[in-house]
Amino acid sequence: MILNKNYFLIIFLLAGQVFLRSQERMRTDSIPTENLEEVVVTATRTLRQLSSLPLPVSLISRRQLQQTGVIRLDEILDEQTGILMTPDATIGGGEGVQIQGISSDYIMVLIDGVPVVGRSSGNLDLSRLAIGNIQQVEIVKGPSSSLFGSEALGGVINIITEKPDSEDISGQVSHRSATFNNQNTSVNLNQRRGKLGYSLFADRLSTDGYDLAPLQDGQTINPFYNYTINGRVFLEASEKWDIFASARYFFQEFDVSPDSSEETDTNLHLRVTQNPGTKSNLQYEVYFTRYTTNEQIEDPVNSDTLIENDFDQRLLRPEIRYNYTFGPGNTLSLGAGYNFETLDRSLFREQVSFESQYLFAQYDFKPAEKLNIIAGARFDHHSEYNAQLSPKLSVRYDINPALAVKGSIGSGFKAPDFRQLYLDFSNVAGGGYSVFGKEVESEGIERLRENDELASLQVDASELGDPLDAESSVGYNLGITYKKGGLSAEINLFRNDFRNLIDTRILATKNNGQNVFGYINRERVFTQGLETDLKVRLLDNLELSAGYQLLFAYDKDRLEDIENGEVFARDPQTLETVRLDRSGYFGLENRSRHAFNVKLFGEIPKWKANANLRAVYRGRFGITDRNGNGLLDVLDDSFVQGYTLVNLSFGKRLFEHYSVQIGANNVFNFQGNNPLAAQDGEVLINPGTEIFAKINFQF
Amino acid sequence: MKSAVKLFSLFSILFVLVSCSEDSMDDIAAFNITSVSPVSGSVGTEITISGSNFPADPSAIEITIGGVPATISSLTSSELVTRVPDGATSGELRLTVNGQSRTALPSFTVLDDLEAGTVENLFAPQTGGQGQGEIGGDFTRFSFESGGVTESETEWDIAFRGTTIAVNGGVVTGTNDEPERNGNAGAAIVNGIFDEILTAEGLEFAQDAQGAFAIPTGSDNGWYNYNFMTNVVSPIPGVVLVFRTHDGRYAKVEILSYYENAPANPDGFADASRYYTFNYVYNPNEGETQLAR
Repeated sequence: MILNKNYFLIIFLLAGQVFLRSQERMRTDSIPTENLEEVVVTATRTLRQLSSLPLPVSLISRRQLQQTGVIRLDEILDEQTGILMTPDATIGGGEGVQIQGISSDYIMVLIDGVPVVGRSSGNLDLSRLAIGNIQQVEIVKGPSSSLFGSEALGGVINIITEKPDSEDISGQVSHRSATFNNQNTSVNLNQRRGKLGYSLFADRLSTDGYDLAPLQDGQTINPFYNYTINGRVFLEASEKWDIFASARYFFQEFDVSPDSSEETDTNLHLRVTQNPGTKSNLQYEVYFTRYTTNEQIEDPVNSDTLIENDFDQRLLRPEIRYNYTFGPGNTLSLGAGYNFETLDRSLFREQVSFESQYLFAQYDFKPAEKLNIIAGARFDHHSEYNAQLSPKLSVRYDINPALAVKGSIGSGFKAPDFRQLYLDFSNVAGGGYSVFGKEVESEGIERLRENDELASLQVDASELGDPLDAESSVGYNLGITYKKGGLSAEINLFRNDFRNLIDTRILATKNNGQNVFGYINRERVFTQGLETDLKVRLLDNLELSAGYQLLFAYDKDRLEDIENGEVFARDPQTLETVRLDRSGYFGLENRSRHAFNVKLFGEIPKWKANANLRAVYRGRFGITDRNGNGLLDVLDDSFVQGYTLVNLSFGKRLFEHYSVQIGANNVFNFQGNNPLAAQDGEVLINPGTEIFAKINFQF
Repeated sequence: MKSAVKLFSLFSILFVLVSCSEDSMDDIAAFNITSVSPVSGSVGTEITISGSNFPADPSAIEITIGGVPATISSLTSSELVTRVPDGATSGELRLTVNGQSRTALPSFTVLDDLEAGTVENLFAPQTGGQGQGEIGGDFTRFSFESGGVTESETEWDIAFRGTTIAVNGGVVTGTNDEPERNGNAGAAIVNGIFDEILTAEGLEFAQDAQGAFAIPTGSDNGWYNYNFMTNVVSPIPGVVLVFRTHDGRYAKVEILSYYENAPANPDGFADASRYYTFNYVYNPNEGETQLAR
């Protein structure tokens, strides 16, 4: 509450300042009656008009972010076609983003073009990312390693922060209260004075959390609070030199005896842009990020620390980019960079580090008036695994001004992560099994042998320590877009083939009967389907959009096994084994065959009011194999039935500087039922309706 | 002259026919057995007898196996099909036609019937493990011959403790409290449908060894998978365990559940585990590899 008081003080100070200046600036939030030429930077790393791109890109506008009343990135992504937020496979837990059926491990998240690090079991917690100062969110679907390197197999989500564009101080102060005592306060200030611009953003979020498993001890989401502070400076040093600097800090804590956890995320970003002439452009960039967590479990009796789990990841990346424009729609881009990465983690014997160097080139050109081709490739050299070459080709042909065909083919890769290389872990509490990363497996096995813990080696000793390959994919997209007047429609067929996915395998057996696990490149999977999007302006101020995704996602090796009649399942009645046929294999976990969204955004300019209604349907999906055959089949009792979440919100501007917003997410109070819940227990899929109210003061 | 030759010939033929008539009845019925397949089988097993000159009328033929009459299910002049009759014992397989008998060699062995059964809730407790200290405790020993748990130190075939299965063959692995191996049991893991595993022939049988059980321990390694999400141990569907018993018989086993009363979807946190339910088929005849009728 003290904090809230402070915020009120700030509000008054700011209000006073604005009043003294007696100048205000109206931000026009109305839906433009003409199609604004939306531009994106993520697809090519140059500024490109969204509607002219040859590859699938989605854009979430600032207006949509504001009108929906969401406060974190994960909430808004869930409403986009082809993007799902999946519940963590473990009961409760965090969420992961899924694009074209590709899980969050293979999706890169950027802020202003530089990566966010700090993943837990591959998942990046997107609720860490406040969206109060965001201009737009850009999502490139399909492999993008040709520009962004490792992790960009399934796609790239790039958060573009807003830039100050007014001579006068502008910004907003808002507070939002929601169910579960979810309190969010944020302050956003922007100003440009001559050559200097700055932007300040502060955000505080706290919640009592919620519980999806009321019959179990503890809560699914513990009460926590977090802060985000972001300051940015824009300087036009001269006609030829621009400087951008950004510092972001995130801090989150929860303390629910006996567990406590602290999480920090720091990003420092400096970009100097040089424009030696009108045709060429050079960008020098240095980026540093650090992500830390510190978890502790205390003995409730004597406060001794029982378990301490620390995680400290750092990345330093200098990068240079050069763009040369030969003519309209004809740009060559070159880039080079160096990654220094370190991780210090309790489960590792020592601090580990990676180094990698990369070069990329891209040529974006129009060989004919109606034809746009983008050809690019990136070469990554890495200290710990084989070098990677990632090419990509995208082509677009405009049949007529309204109709275009576009296709792209590209490759992506994901470097083995620190865990897969350096984990050195023996689970004493969980029965005594051990897990070794690739780089430490030889010495780990040797150590067990010396300690007389090893019963037998299950793999050839000469195989130990063979380097892991990067996981890689090839993605294909083929689509048609139509855009005329108030109607735009798009259909995209996609296919992503993954190989060398890293899996665990048994290296050895220990005397205690437990296994020693290591990592191996093994799995091959694919995802394919189609996504379609439709936007219609029904009235001047009423826009309807609808999207659908059809998805098939399978493990190729398991499909072959089924073909060979080698996969069996268990009849739930007799418990006897039956042979599984193709129709019995449901596909990869956590994938829904069908997903829909329908959104209606309307405005009444006369009343300075807006309203929207959004419905998101997610089809049936399975959580895990339950009958022991290692794949999800129709006989597994682990399916979550399809469900729809309906969200709505109303906003109205009051006086000149205020606006209020009320809304509800999950209006129909869908809670669902997790099939893995204990027999007499209950585990929900969703905590239920969230009602919120927001007051905003803008100037 | 010509007709004289013809007549002579005719008479000659008649003479030959007539003169042979006493013997020739025997010759026509002179049937033979050339092969019998199989030469062993349990009651009800179909036996195909090949030979020559079998009479057309089944009622003219008498078959006995070890002196017990059997019935003919199909018959041609060169092939006869019968089944091992109830009450048959090992011994001669004999065909009699019009008092003439032929005995097949070698003699037919009547086998004991395959024994099929389901063992429910075989309890295989252990101490320690899962963070509770060293694993220990007696194994629960099982005998296929008796179809149940046995206290015998020698007449056991397989033994259970937690998820670990030992066989009475090979040497001790080195774990605590394990039984002495004094038989010649072994185990092979076969992938398939239980009923489609017809024989133990051609399988390689592993025995317990220093540091390694014949059925490898650990998830996804031997007979089960462990799902950390649900905390459930599931028998891997399609895994059939084929055993050689301590005394050289064969059996196949399909584990159905590791939880008490074999619930279809066990609750890994609430249901009592270490209760085996399994189907088995046991061939009680020494050295006989057949595992399905």
